[in-house]
Amino acid sequence: MAWGGGGMGGGGGGPIMGGNAAGRGAGLPFGGIPSELQDGVDTLLADEPVHPDPDLAFSQRSSDQERKRLTLTRLLTEYPRTLIWASILVVVISIVAQLGPKLTEIAINDGMSPGHKSMLVVAVVAVVYLVAVLVTSVSQRAQVRATGRLAAWVMNDLRVKVFTHLQRLSLDFFTEEKAGVLMSRMTSDIENLQQLLQDGLWQFAIQGLTMVVITVILFLTNVRLAFITVVLILPVLILISLWFRRSSERGYDRVRDGIANVLADLSESLHGVRIVTAHNRQRHNIVHHRNVVGEYRDANNYTAQINAVYGPGTQLIGVLGQAALLAIGGNMVLHHQLSLGALVAFFLYLNRFFQPIQLLVQQYNTYQQGQASVAKLRQLLDTEPSVMESADAVELGNIRGAISFDHVDFGYDPAVPVLEDVNLRIAPGETVAFVGPTGAGKSTMAKLVTRFYDPTSGRVLIDGFDLREVTLHSLRRQLGVVPQEPFLFAGTVGDNISFARPDATTAEIEEAVVAVGLTEVIERLGDGLDTVVHERGQSLSSGERQLIALARAFLAHPRVLVLDEATSNLDLQSETKIEAALDVLLENRTAVLIAHRLSTAMRADRIVVVDEGRIVEIGSHAELVAAGGRYAEMYATWERQADLEGHRAITR
Amino acid sequence: MTTTRQREADILSTARATEFTPMAETPRYGGAKASIDPDRSKTWLRRALPIMSAHKGIFITSLVLSFVGLVLQVQIPELLNKAITNSLEAHTVSLSVYVWWILALGLVGGVAGYISRLFLFKTAYGIEYDLRTLIYEHLTKMSFSFYDRVQSGQLISRANSDIRSVQMYMTFAPLILVQCSIAVVAFCYMLSISVPLALVAMVTMPFVFLVGVKMRKTMFPVSWIIQARLADVATIVDENVNGVRVVRSFAAEDDQLNSLAKAATRLQWSYIKDADLRAKWSPVIQNLPQLGLALVLLFGGYMVIQGSLGIGAILAFNAYLLMLQAPFMMLGMLIMMGQRAAASAERIYEIMDEQPTITERPGAVDLLECRGQVDFNHVDFAYGEDGPLVLEDFDLHMAPGETVALVGRTGSGKSTVARLLARFYDTTAGTLAIDGHDVRDLTLDSLRANVGIVLDEAFLFSVSVADNIAYGRPDAERADIEAAARAAGAHGFISELSEGYDTVVGERGYTLSGGQRQRIAIARTLLVNPPILVLDDATSAIDVQVEQQIHGALRVLMEGRTTLIVAHRLSTIALSDRVVLLDSGRIVADGTHAELLASSPLYGEVLAQVEDEAVLEEEEEEEGLH
Repeated sequence: MAWGGGGMGGGGGGPIMGGNAAGRGAGLPFGGIPSELQDGVDTLLADEPVHPDPDLAFSQRSSDQERKRLTLTRLLTEYPRTLIWASILVVVISIVAQLGPKLTEIAINDGMSPGHKSMLVVAVVAVVYLVAVLVTSVSQRAQVRATGRLAAWVMNDLRVKVFTHLQRLSLDFFTEEKAGVLMSRMTSDIENLQQLLQDGLWQFAIQGLTMVVITVILFLTNVRLAFITVVLILPVLILISLWFRRSSERGYDRVRDGIANVLADLSESLHGVRIVTAHNRQRHNIVHHRNVVGEYRDANNYTAQINAVYGPGTQLIGVLGQAALLAIGGNMVLHHQLSLGALVAFFLYLNRFFQPIQLLVQQYNTYQQGQASVAKLRQLLDTEPSVMESADAVELGNIRGAISFDHVDFGYDPAVPVLEDVNLRIAPGETVAFVGPTGAGKSTMAKLVTRFYDPTSGRVLIDGFDLREVTLHSLRRQLGVVPQEPFLFAGTVGDNISFARPDATTAEIEEAVVAVGLTEVIERLGDGLDTVVHERGQSLSSGERQLIALARAFLAHPRVLVLDEATSNLDLQSETKIEAALDVLLENRTAVLIAHRLSTAMRADRIVVVDEGRIVEIGSHAELVAAGGRYAEMYATWERQADLEGHRAITR
Repeated sequence: MTTTRQREADILSTARATEFTPMAETPRYGGAKASIDPDRSKTWLRRALPIMSAHKGIFITSLVLSFVGLVLQVQIPELLNKAITNSLEAHTVSLSVYVWWILALGLVGGVAGYISRLFLFKTAYGIEYDLRTLIYEHLTKMSFSFYDRVQSGQLISRANSDIRSVQMYMTFAPLILVQCSIAVVAFCYMLSISVPLALVAMVTMPFVFLVGVKMRKTMFPVSWIIQARLADVATIVDENVNGVRVVRSFAAEDDQLNSLAKAATRLQWSYIKDADLRAKWSPVIQNLPQLGLALVLLFGGYMVIQGSLGIGAILAFNAYLLMLQAPFMMLGMLIMMGQRAAASAERIYEIMDEQPTITERPGAVDLLECRGQVDFNHVDFAYGEDGPLVLEDFDLHMAPGETVALVGRTGSGKSTVARLLARFYDTTAGTLAIDGHDVRDLTLDSLRANVGIVLDEAFLFSVSVADNIAYGRPDAERADIEAAARAAGAHGFISELSEGYDTVVGERGYTLSGGQRQRIAIARTLLVNPPILVLDDATSAIDVQVEQQIHGALRVLMEGRTTLIVAHRLSTIALSDRVVLLDSGRIVADGTHAELLASSPLYGEVLAQVEDEAVLEEEEEEEGLH
């Protein structure tokens, strides 16, 4: 059995993404190439050219070009020459592909009918037929190539454009509930559009034109019979197709919900398997799973009904049409109102009527989805970031790290103030700890320093510069932030450490590793710095992840460090290590600590006690304890707690 | 199936000290109709045969009707041919005869087509149902050692796409074969009309098949590459959405933009490759039959002029060729589907062939009226067959009603002891006995009903809070649920949730903090009211003040229960009568807290981590996140 390490088929996720660019998250979420596809994939990738490294410059402000309204038409006309070429091909295909039955008619009437027998006519028509088939093939080939390219280019541009916009949007946009929405904009919405541009629209055009071409040819051949055919067949066919589309949509909604429930139940049962076992729930869960799978089967059976009606139903309409055509057209032939060749042509065209209608109905869905996706993407692109770089923002030079809050008011919702009249000066190189109850505004103050938000009134200054007057890049380049929950990216441990400075040398990375005391951890990992981080670093302990985040901040050489202390329980060893790392990190830097433990706060040069959006006390640990205010109270509680615990435990 | 039911009945009929899992949900669907042949030496299709034959009634009906429908369909071009020749050219038969025939055939064919398709789909979904429930039921039997080895993501993907591809092949392969057999019939008709013209008409068909095979061979890999690269793009977006603070605070937008652009370029290449491959193959497949039609026109025309063929034959040949196009294309698909299905089936069998390692001995007895005497007798234990020993000569005896705290460094084997007690694993050497019974001689149901364990992972299911607490006792009254929640210190925050106890939590519901989840997990076990209680680091994420309250309640509940506590905190240790210090899988000290403090330097060291634990506030929640 080959369970381990994600390698369930072939050689794991490696080979496919190998070669020129071992991208991040190589091949995920797939464990590996299914073995039966391995050879094919290898052959294809052997042809892949080395893509030049992109060199895009990110700018905080969008250009006029980027501000244009996103519409389907604008997307299509971005590459006008390809568009025109594809359109010409579509017209050619629609006409030339429908010549066959007409040519057959000519051959029958002028080459095979009694009195008109001529091998020359038959031969010429057959050759023309061959040429028409050839022209159709070549045009189809050219069309698929052209539209495939057009779609790939346009979508590539759109991906980059939407992503760039995401990078501009302010932090208030990235709340938990919006994360899923943002993901689906960049994935399913763009993929819908890709489908539409690559295939859907062109099929739509070709099938529509084909119907027109066939109708025209039928009318040119015999108006009366054409009229009867169109009136008899078309409405019934369109009706049944519309019915089919509506009911199958409903059916597939059910099926989608059904499979989602099945997989969710399975996934929960697997992730919670230890709880299930501990609580003896297996039998109950089996019943539940059967019910869920059963509902899914019922939903499938419902769609089966619809499909079973539609497929043979359209076939039946076809047969009925043929019978009607034979009855009516045959009589016309008998009364010499129609040539035999024309009747044959009618039969042949009748068969060709069906596919376009079915496809048109299908493609209409794709078209609607595509339009809906465009609308959603447009809405996203039209969202203005709330923290904007001003047009005349200046580059912030190397800073010393003096921070001041000058009468700062702030509220995420302007009606609900979170900070009120905050005034604070932090000297270069000073370490300041913010303490206070949950919701007091500690983290908010830190977010104003990094300019994740702008104050509602008042100013935040660094070295005397109002943050709103400097470029975001030059500001944040000199800041380092260590969040409470360290976030690791897919890639190697080394990549994660050099996140802020991807051009850092190995020596520099190693220096950071040593500085924060990560050496032991790295040595224990299989491939050292090249060890790939899986699933956001779940295989590492939270202490180890925190150390990596600290090394990342160290390597960035920030002048100002903002650190949100982790509250998760670290074991003693990790904690000692992290404290040691902090000592190194804080040296010679201005630091803002959001302290959750008093022991951390005590190490700071000054402690700022925040409550209900206001600074209530400022001073060193000793000063504040002596002052006997809020901090002194907190400290007393803490001491009593520690005492109590020790005492009770010992007296047992 | 019958044995399980019987056992359930037995369980319910005997008066018992503890209750067993009742059915809280009415079973609306039965079990799978058949299972997979366990004989591993057979080919994958033969191993799947029992499942297929369980559905043979509707399946065979479907295939027969499908054949009938196709035979009728084949008649129609021939009827048109005759109508043109006999009624329109020669005027020997009345036209209406043919019209009625065509109508009749069309109607019967339509009905046959409807029934055959419906039955075919039903067979397919029936097989899928069987496979899904079989795998699920098999997975519930598997032991922890299996789940330690296997990634659940892999299992889910097997359960999803692999079942689909096996099911597709098992049902559609026979259908495609039926359709191909109709090609033989159609070909015979063409031969009966004209041998040379039939050969000319069919000349392109083998190419349709060959090109189809060739096309799929290249198209499947390219679509796989596209999927993989879409996933790469999605990963980058996901990280930039969820890790947005890190990206912004290190001003890494430029690098991130370029790495996205790179992934997008690679994706673009694969889309263009896909278009080029489709451009290469699909016009060929679509137009080969047209080529055949042109040839039919040329040769058929010659034969009509010679007088050896009627004009109607041209029409019939046209219809036959279009009819044949689909089966020949599908034949190519069949080969590819077969390869995928074989690979998928292997992956499914891999799961089905795994045997659970923790099984009930034949003649195992129920643990009745458990007193709570626990004896670990010289237990050795290793995860996996040749793993290092995690416990070595572990000898621990707990009297009924005693509370023992297990203390030790990370990795000293504390959690393993807890897991052995509920028989999640079996000992490598030595025995574990409850009330003097070796746990391996007890039924798993009764053992686990008597041993309540709160695991360190507080996993909640996507159901209401109340259902989560009642997980081990789905029939519990709301009052009991609330009482358990109160004891676990969870009632307060639950009442503040928007829908109280009916709020849906878990992955697909409201997100609770780690401490809140742990409190619900404790309530979940307390509700079962087991005589033996195991708390495996169950309060690690709960802050100190709340923990104090829970301990108050726990102290009452632990009266008369045998309790094993795996602890990190001093306050938790305080609940115990006795402390056992573990180091590298061995007991190094055993006694009261005070005794150990005096005698064991390691104990003091392990406890040192408690010192700095006064957390100023409960779970820090970002004050401004809305």
